[in-house]
Amino acid sequence: MLADSVLSELYRLSRNRMAVFWSALFVPLLFVVGGITFHLITKSKIAEMTSKLAPDAAASMGATNLGHDLVQAAGIAANGAILVFMLIGAATLYAGDYRWETWRLISARNSRLNLILGKVGAFKVLTVVAMVVFLIAGLIFSLSGALINGQEITFSVDGGDAGDFGLLLLLGYIRIVQYAMIALLAGVFTRSLLAALFVPVVLGFAQSLLGGPGIAILQWEPTSWQSQLLMPGLAFDALKAMITAGVGAPPAPEGLMLKAIISLALWLLAPLAGAIAWFNRQDLSKE
Amino acid sequence: MTAVIETRNLTKTYGSVRALDGLSLTIPRGGVYGVLGPNGAGKSTLFRILLGLIRPTDGEAVVMGGRIGDVAASRRMGSMIETPRFPPFMTARQVLVWLSAAHGLKADTARVSGWLERVGLTEAADRKVRGFSVGMLQRLGVAAALITEPELVILDEPTSGMDPPGIQEMRALIRSLSEKDGITVILASHQLLEVQRVCDRVAILNRGKLVREGAVSELTASGERLRLSVTPISRTLEIVSSLPGASGVLEGDAVLATLPRADTPALLRALVQGGVDIDEARWVGADLESVFMSETGSVQTPETIHAR
Repeated sequence: MLADSVLSELYRLSRNRMAVFWSALFVPLLFVVGGITFHLITKSKIAEMTSKLAPDAAASMGATNLGHDLVQAAGIAANGAILVFMLIGAATLYAGDYRWETWRLISARNSRLNLILGKVGAFKVLTVVAMVVFLIAGLIFSLSGALINGQEITFSVDGGDAGDFGLLLLLGYIRIVQYAMIALLAGVFTRSLLAALFVPVVLGFAQSLLGGPGIAILQWEPTSWQSQLLMPGLAFDALKAMITAGVGAPPAPEGLMLKAIISLALWLLAPLAGAIAWFNRQDLSKE
Repeated sequence: MTAVIETRNLTKTYGSVRALDGLSLTIPRGGVYGVLGPNGAGKSTLFRILLGLIRPTDGEAVVMGGRIGDVAASRRMGSMIETPRFPPFMTARQVLVWLSAAHGLKADTARVSGWLERVGLTEAADRKVRGFSVGMLQRLGVAAALITEPELVILDEPTSGMDPPGIQEMRALIRSLSEKDGITVILASHQLLEVQRVCDRVAILNRGKLVREGAVSELTASGERLRLSVTPISRTLEIVSSLPGASGVLEGDAVLATLPRADTPALLRALVQGGVDIDEARWVGADLESVFMSETGSVQTPETIHAR
């Protein structure tokens, strides 16, 4: 039953080319195009500089390790642009049935819990697809840079890199799904696709303001309970810093990992619970 | 006679408005069942409750053997409530595949094509829904209600927005659903002539209450009257009214007399003796419209027929 809901949502989403493009493909595409442009510009600048140096100076730029670059791409797979553009997919999935007045077509065919969880499941699949596309874009970025600059291409991953890669991807995935939960709650509560799109953006902006100058004005510690619980972005950054911390880096403050995990879990589950509770008592004949 | 739907004392209030007022109704399995009523009678509210879209304030309903909202029972039903809407970026074919998937059915190309053909959308099957006319949306709505091959289908105004040939095709489709596919069809329509032609039984609702229920043939037979084409009309009306248990009303240039059939010879004798020239006298059945209007006390105007 839940599988029916997930599959039907995925089928419908797959037919919505605009939503899929803007949410999962646009940012990676921009990354590739921007990256190639960046490489071309830097090459011309470097060429200007190296023409004044020894002829083999370009060769001293070193090799491109695709394995290392993949880990770096995983670290930015839940960047701000991805978060915002993924909201297009989230809003479409979570509030599209209100906009198209199609709830009554499907609401009698499954339980309301399954209908909501089906949408969440479909968004998780979309998130995985978007992250894979972003990683591919990261690889293309690195490859194009190596080819444009004539660098040697290598691929080596040690155990630490592989662990970091997996953890960063998992963390990024949780961050995107968690952020989209705000869209779910906003969409169900307001029955509006625009609200599903913009409420998380506004909230995210407010949280970033609070996380930047806000906590300085309030004299909060970024690692304190209130900072971590109010700003899941800080929790995400804290966990990411712990994963990418190199050997010899100072240890994270005691209890920070727990606070960060609780913060992400809270922001993941509380909007979901709120949306399910509200949806269960909603009159779906009024769309 | 098994029932597909049984409601007991079903009540729904919106603030101080009672949309349904203690409705008890049993809809038998098989055939086409019409639900009639003027605007605000509670038809759409009844359907919305039966489909689990809204909850009743009081009372209970059993649908396909399950309580309201019982998903297993709901999955044996199909429905089209009001003007259907679909994701605009999908084609008609994709809509049916999507709804099949939502129902846990594999995308069966033959089944999808079959229903598109039956509702007359084969040529438009691969066109985006955003370009569909209201009539085409209605056809797709009917196909969407039927794609999961339900045992019971609820159709609310299925011919709304259709042209006359389309209405005729839809009427034929509804009859075939009942007769060939064995699907119980519940139909709400303001087109009383359509209901009379298509339905086997009807329920007439007014202000949230059931005011009349029965086979269409019984309802119309009970209102048959003697139509008299006569001269002079005023004298005819006097004579008809003077007979015990009889009454007459003017309809166009004729008089419609209500009286027991057995009194027909006596009336005709009285008219001849009273100097009335009788051009024609024949018994006519009441149409559903007159039954409807007498039960609901409503006057049909274009607004009441078409407005929701």
